[in-house]
Amino acid sequence: MKLNRRLVLHAATGIVGLALLPRVAFGQNRAETLRYVTGNNINPLDPTVQGSTRESFGLSMNVYDRLFSFGRKKLGDNWVFDATKIRGELAKGYQISPDGMKITITLRPDATWHDGTPVTAEDIKWSLDRAVSAKSLAPPQFSTGSMTSTDQFRIVDDHTIEVTLPQPDRLGLANLCVPYAIMINSKLAKQHVTADDPWALDWLKSNSAASGAYIVESFKPSESVIIRRNDAWKGGADGAMPFFRRIIIQTVPEPATRANLIEKGDADLAIDLAASDIPTMEKSTKAKVVSVPQTNGFTHISMNTQMAPFDNVKVRQAIAAALPFEDMFKAALFARGRRLYGADWTGLPPNSGFPQPIPLKTDSTRAKKLLAEAGMPEGFKTSFAFSTGQAATAEPLAALLKEALGKIGIDVDIQKKPDAEFNTLESEKKMPFFVDAATAWLPATDYYFRLYFTRDQRWNFASWKNTDIEQISAAARFELDPAKYDEECKKMIEVFAENVPLIMMWQPNHDAVMAANIDGYTYQFYRQADFRDLKRV
Amino acid sequence: MGTPINFIARPIFGTSSGFRGEVARRRAGPAIVTTVLAIARRVGQRLLSSIPALLGVVIITFVLMRVMPGDPAVFFASGPSAGQAEIEQLRHKMGLDKPIPVQLVRYLEDVATGNLGRSLTTGQPVSNDIRQRLPASLELTFTALFIALLLAVPLGVAAALRPGSPIDHVVRMLCTLGVCVPTFVSGLLLIYVFYYLLGWAPDPTARIDIFAASPPEMTGFYLIDFALTGEWAGWWAAFTQLLLPAFTMALFVLAPLARMTRASMLAVLGSDFIRTAQAMGLGRPRIVVAYALRNALLPVLTITGIVFSTMLGANVLVEKVFSWPGVASYALDALLAADYAPVQAFVLLMATIFVSVNVLIDILYGIADPRVSVE
Repeated sequence: MKLNRRLVLHAATGIVGLALLPRVAFGQNRAETLRYVTGNNINPLDPTVQGSTRESFGLSMNVYDRLFSFGRKKLGDNWVFDATKIRGELAKGYQISPDGMKITITLRPDATWHDGTPVTAEDIKWSLDRAVSAKSLAPPQFSTGSMTSTDQFRIVDDHTIEVTLPQPDRLGLANLCVPYAIMINSKLAKQHVTADDPWALDWLKSNSAASGAYIVESFKPSESVIIRRNDAWKGGADGAMPFFRRIIIQTVPEPATRANLIEKGDADLAIDLAASDIPTMEKSTKAKVVSVPQTNGFTHISMNTQMAPFDNVKVRQAIAAALPFEDMFKAALFARGRRLYGADWTGLPPNSGFPQPIPLKTDSTRAKKLLAEAGMPEGFKTSFAFSTGQAATAEPLAALLKEALGKIGIDVDIQKKPDAEFNTLESEKKMPFFVDAATAWLPATDYYFRLYFTRDQRWNFASWKNTDIEQISAAARFELDPAKYDEECKKMIEVFAENVPLIMMWQPNHDAVMAANIDGYTYQFYRQADFRDLKRV
Repeated sequence: MGTPINFIARPIFGTSSGFRGEVARRRAGPAIVTTVLAIARRVGQRLLSSIPALLGVVIITFVLMRVMPGDPAVFFASGPSAGQAEIEQLRHKMGLDKPIPVQLVRYLEDVATGNLGRSLTTGQPVSNDIRQRLPASLELTFTALFIALLLAVPLGVAAALRPGSPIDHVVRMLCTLGVCVPTFVSGLLLIYVFYYLLGWAPDPTARIDIFAASPPEMTGFYLIDFALTGEWAGWWAAFTQLLLPAFTMALFVLAPLARMTRASMLAVLGSDFIRTAQAMGLGRPRIVVAYALRNALLPVLTITGIVFSTMLGANVLVEKVFSWPGVASYALDALLAADYAPVQAFVLLMATIFVSVNVLIDILYGIADPRVSVE
């Protein structure tokens, strides 16, 4: 072949064309790619192992299927999850026996794992067995739905599974919707079990064996995860496919950088910007903000009810009457959230929902009177703690609290503690007085009370012991009659409001900031983005 | 740094440049052998004598982590429904239910066999994490140090040549600014100007554009890996991504380097041999670069070693601001979560690097000044 000018020109064009190709192809893809930036670490791939982060819950919802999924509903202009509507995800449907003790689950006959093999009842049985027996975070969660033993899961045929509950637990089915209830390709996982690790906990930390809407393409712990759409996915609501073909999940620790990326249009979604950036973002033309109160959570000021002087109910009531709620709400949250104080009812609450506003009001004369009745008219000295991780909201709150309590003679020493230390002290019940926040995946009133106001464990923040609550919450759990259940819940809320083991403050907003053309964002109970709902318009 | 060195009073000269070259050339053969031997002996001694220090660092970190308030088991077994049983289970799995001396012996055995434990934050073996993250930190630190030296040495020399002049004051002001402005402020400022306002820099996250492919894993240094595979577009992408964080870090260490260069140059310029050289009519550039600068470099070398080690450990803010997946931010995350294994491994790594850098600096002394190797 002779080298002439034409050949050289052709070759040059070809090379330039090749060099441009990936960019052109990428240009078309950008619209179908979602880039999500977060300040947290994303890992591991298995949400049930100890040390899994909230990002890992969010990721697993998109990578794995569960048997069932919560629906969603409109709250104002925004979508929020709806725990009262449960639809099949990997399951096609279910039937609950009249006594509420047997759930018969039919699987989708055409569902497949990411490796193309069909989903069988054996896989489901293995996954459920794992959830109640592996040394992970799943068994305690499953026990809240009365699922504790592998005997409770029975294969009826290739596509039918039967779950037997010892009592008609109201939360049996709901527990099959939470991030810990992932369904795993057992044939694949079993290839990686060892004698020490019969449930492949180690292998599944950095590998997935799933059937969900997205397939993990690359996984770099605490850096980035890239997932691509599973075009064979069957678990969508009404069989719908997710819009985005590719999702890039990236850890960007600096909130200012995350905000810059969104404003520049280089990133599409972030749910953890600094509170001070949100008003700027609301004004921006390139970004929009979806703000939803975290309906399944509550920020609270807890008092250790087993420790003097907080073991005296009058002292707790006095403190609740002394706090400047409205000022705190504005200073800590810029009033972005839902108030859980200032209700007007007395006796029984108007409805059985929880958390709901409690009749707490600022009234310093009443506070002084209560303190005198408690036998401490001169006040006392105490310390008030918060964790560094919550400092942005807790610091202004603590300053206002110190000032207000100072006025009724209570001398407060503010203590800011590193997260690990705060958690340990909280778990060991060594703090008399502190602020913290909590959320529950399953927003059922009896579940809140069982989790947060009974038992001797970390989540009983106030170490509250009340026999009424213990009895009613235990009974309400298995109550099949809705009217009776409502009554029981109202009774518990009444007892709670009288005793003030902890002071309900507010539900902060969940602020999702996204590119202006992103639509369909849903606030989920696990407080992470569900990419399957999102689309670009 | 061992031997006290009097580097100012007696000048050193390059073998090829200057008077007395004749003598130096005649002694070159045997001198090289002795020098190499001396260096080898020096390195050997240094490495041996550093073992107790490293052991001490390992033990102190180990004890410190356990004395610090905060129980990792509580932190990591904190699912919404996890109770005391899960915490105990995790404590047992991590060996935290054993007495501290037993834990320490186990840990030392593990370290001796190269097992640094598993991180609870990332879920991966710590040695894997470090292998992936150390090159990122090193690449950033080396680039930053290179930029800093490139700026600091000429600035220091310029300031020393005209002490008290406007140039001197400008250099002093630059150095003061570099030290005063914390790296997260200068980093955010650079991002704001070059990425947000001007749009010249790529988006300041990670080592390469998230949409682009990273190079095949070879050395872990992106610039080297891209160069080896000949993907120059990728190389350029990685390079531009590196510039902002590297400049941010360089600004911060400009001061010690430039100030040290200036001080040491001033001392050398005032000494007898410079006057002699001037009297003998040598050209100005030759006097400054070949005679003065070379003699002034020893203290700069010392400070460079220290600056390098500090940068590697202290660049956590830069890594956080630029989402740089390095070892420092890794260690900080682990520390906040009371995740013992990564923190211990990080401290051990830093100690080892510090020892190696000091040894390296010692060798460089030998090259910069042959008298140092003679003990």
